Amino acid sequence: MDESPKKELAVRRNTSSHLHRKEETPSWHLGAPVDIFFRSSPCRIVVVNAQELDHPIIYVNLIFEQVTGYRADEVLGRNCRFLQYQGSFAKTRYPLVDIRILTEICRCLSEGFDFEGERLNFRKGGSPLMNRLYIKPICNDEGIITHFLGVQSFKEANFDLSPLRGLVWKKSSGAIHTHILGDMYSQKPLFVHRDCSFKKCCPLYKVSDEVLVVNILARLTPRDVTSLGSVCHRFYNLTKDESLWKLVCQNIWGQETFSILESVARRRRLWWGKIVRELTTLEAAAWRKLTVGGSVEPSCINFSVCAVGSKVVLFGGEGVNMQPVNDTFVLDLNEDCPEWTHINVNSAPPGRWGHTLSGLSDSRLVVFGGCGRNGLLNDAFVLDLDEPQPTWREVSCSTRPLPRSWHSSCILDGTKLIVSGGCTDSGALLSDTFLLDLTMEKPVWKEINVSWRPPSRLGHTLSVLGNHKILMYGGLATSGPLRLRSSDVYIMDLSEEETRWKYVTGSMLPGGVSTCNSAPPPRLDHAAVSLPGGRVVVFGGSIAGSRLETKVYILDPMEEKPTWRILYVQGRQPKYASGHSTCLVGGTRVVVLGGHHTEDWMLTELHELCLINLKGTD
Amino acid sequence: MAEDPTAAMAKECKVRLKISDDTIFEVEYAVAMQSQMLKNALSDTGTDGTVPLHNISSEIMAKVVEYCAYHVNAANTISEKDVKIWDQEFLKDLDQATLFNLIMATQYMVIHNLQDLICQTVADRIKDKSAEEVREIFNIQNDLTPEEEEEIRHENQWAFEEEGWPEIQEEVRLEG
Repeated sequence: MDESPKKELAVRRNTSSHLHRKEETPSWHLGAPVDIFFRSSPCRIVVVNAQELDHPIIYVNLIFEQVTGYRADEVLGRNCRFLQYQGSFAKTRYPLVDIRILTEICRCLSEGFDFEGERLNFRKGGSPLMNRLYIKPICNDEGIITHFLGVQSFKEANFDLSPLRGLVWKKSSGAIHTHILGDMYSQKPLFVHRDCSFKKCCPLYKVSDEVLVVNILARLTPRDVTSLGSVCHRFYNLTKDESLWKLVCQNIWGQETFSILESVARRRRLWWGKIVRELTTLEAAAWRKLTVGGSVEPSCINFSVCAVGSKVVLFGGEGVNMQPVNDTFVLDLNEDCPEWTHINVNSAPPGRWGHTLSGLSDSRLVVFGGCGRNGLLNDAFVLDLDEPQPTWREVSCSTRPLPRSWHSSCILDGTKLIVSGGCTDSGALLSDTFLLDLTMEKPVWKEINVSWRPPSRLGHTLSVLGNHKILMYGGLATSGPLRLRSSDVYIMDLSEEETRWKYVTGSMLPGGVSTCNSAPPPRLDHAAVSLPGGRVVVFGGSIAGSRLETKVYILDPMEEKPTWRILYVQGRQPKYASGHSTCLVGGTRVVVLGGHHTEDWMLTELHELCLINLKGTD
Repeated sequence: MAEDPTAAMAKECKVRLKISDDTIFEVEYAVAMQSQMLKNALSDTGTDGTVPLHNISSEIMAKVVEYCAYHVNAANTISEKDVKIWDQEFLKDLDQATLFNLIMATQYMVIHNLQDLICQTVADRIKDKSAEEVREIFNIQNDLTPEEEEEIRHENQWAFEEEGWPEIQEEVRLEG
C-alpha cells in the first residue's frame, strides 16, 4: 500500500477511481489486515473524520455510490448511521439492526481498536444489505486518531422484513454473531464467534433486543441490570449496551440529572455503564487539586458560589476593611486552562456577605439576603449568564421574608427558590421556610406553613432530593437559652397536601452525641451535596472543639432506617471546606474554594471531589 | 343532551381485523382506536375494509381486545383504583409465553398502556432476583461456561456487595 504522506487516497486503483473529497486528504499508514478486503470482491470505502463531532463522512468511493444508491454529495458531512434507516426518509433505525453490534462499533471507535463484524444496512431504495464491515482507526504522526477507515463488502440479505413474523432472531443464513466477551474496562477484548442456536422453548427469545432493553430492562435499577449479566450470553451483551444504561439513568435519576451527565459524558467520551456504576458505588471518588489562573480581586471572604453548567460563579463577599463587595466572577472548568474572569455586569446588586447564591435552569442564578452595608437584606436578584450583556435584575415583590444572613437555600425544579432559617438584625435565629416561584410573571414569596418547625438555626444546609423533597441538616441551632451545633436531619415533601418537617436522624437535642460511630459530629457552615438517587454527601464545616473535620459522610434518606456512613475517598482532602464556597459542577465534581479564612485569598488553588473517574477511556 | 354525531357513528362502526389463522375479529371503533397503529391505518383506508394482522394469534388478540374494551369503558366511568385492581386480575393467570406474545403484539399495534403494564410486570418479576432465579423464571438456558461465569461475576462484583459501599478503605490524609 502506498505509505507516503500527503499523497492521494491510498487505495488500489481497480476498486476505486473516483474521488470525492470534502477536506484535505489525510496522510496515513494502512496496516496488513485491510489488504484482505481489498483483494476480495469490490468493496465500499468510507472515511470519516474522527476529530469532528459525530464523525462526518469525508470520502466515499464509487462502489459505495453504486451499491447503496446514495450519491457522494448526498452523504458527505453526515454520520454513517443513515445506512441503518430503511429508506431515505426514515428517522430511526430499523428494529432488526443489532444494537449490540452498534455498541461494539462505538466502543472500538472510542478505544481505538479495529472493528470487524456484520451489520444490516439498507440501500437508498429500502432494500436490505448484509454488510460485512471492517473499521480501522487512522492515526497521525503523534499517534492521535484523526480518521476512521471503513471497508465494507456486502451480500444480499434474504430475510423477511415484515414486522415480527415468527422468531425475530432469524438472520440471513450464514451470518455469524460476533459476541464480545471482554471486560468493558480492560484493554483486551476477547472475540468469540458462536452460532446462534437459541432454545425455541424460551418465550423470551421471541422478544427483540430493542423491545427488551427499552421496555423491560430500562425499568430496573443499576444493580439488577448488572446482575442480569450472569444469566446468559444474550443478557451479558445487553448489559454492555450503552443505550440501555442511558435509559436506566434517565428512569432512576430523572431527566435533569441525565441531561447534566450527558454533557459531561459527551465531552469526555465516558461510558454510560461506567458512569452509572461509579455514581452508584462512588468507588472512584477522589480528591484532586486544581490550579486555575486569574484571580479574585479585590480578595474577600464570606462570598458565595454556585455552579452554572460547567462554570463556577462567585458573587459578593467581605472585602478589606470588612466592607461588603458586589463583584461577579466566573470560572469555566471546561476550558483547557480555566481562569477567573471578572464579569462586567449591568446594575450589580448591593454588596453583601453571608448571602446565598443558587443556580437556576438555563444558565441563570439568583442571590438572596445577606449582610449589606447598612444592615441585613431580603432582596433577590437574578442574573442570566447567557445574555450578551449580563444584567442583575431585582425580583420585585410586595412582601418579603425577614432580612437575614447565614440562611440556607436551594432550588426546586430549576425554578423555585426555597429559603430557610438564618439570623436577623436583632441577632435572633429564624426557623421559617419561604418559597419563591420564579416562573411567575410577578413572583410572590410564599411561606410554607407547617404545624411544627425544627429549632431555629443558621449555617445549616438545604439539599434537594429528586423533584419535590428537601433535606435540612446541621447548623447552629437554638436549644433553650443556648445555641449549639446540630446534627439533625429533617426532610420535607413539598408534594404533600399538608407539608411538614419529618425528623430523619441525628440527636433530638442539638449538640448531643449520637450513638452511631459513623455519624458526623454536629456542625455548621458545612458543605452538603445532593447525589443522584436522593443521597446526600456532607463534609467540612465547623465542629466543636476546633478539631479539623476530615471525613466525608453519606446518607441515603430512602433507606428504611437512614444511617450515616463514612465515605472513603482517595487523595488529600482540603483542610477546611465551607458550605457557601462549595458547589457541585456538572453533577460529578464538588469544587471547594478557598482554604481557611486566613489562607489562599487569591482562590487559585482549588480542591475538587470527583465523584466519578473523569478520565474517559483510560 | 344531544350526542356528538361522530361519537354515535363511532359506537356503531365495527372494525374488522383478520388475524393469523384467517379468522376475523370485529371490534368497535373506539376499542380499535386504542391502538395507534390501527388508528393510523384506519384514518387512511377507512373502516370498510379488513385490516390484516397476520402475526397475531387469536388467543392473544382476544386478550388485547379484552383489555382495550375494558379501558375504553373505564376511561371516564371507573375509578383509577378499581382499574388498577382489574389490571392485576387481567395479568394474574397469564403464563410466560402469553406475556411475551402480548409484549410483541402491543409493540406492533402500538398500545402504550397495555405494553407498559406488561413490561412493568415482567420487570417486577426480575427485580432483586439472582441470575439463577431469572433463568428459572424465564426458562433460559445457561450458555455460559464456568470460566465465563466466573469472569463475569468478578467483573460485576460491585452489584452484589452490600449497599455498594467500597470495601477498600483508603486512608484519608490531612493536607499539608
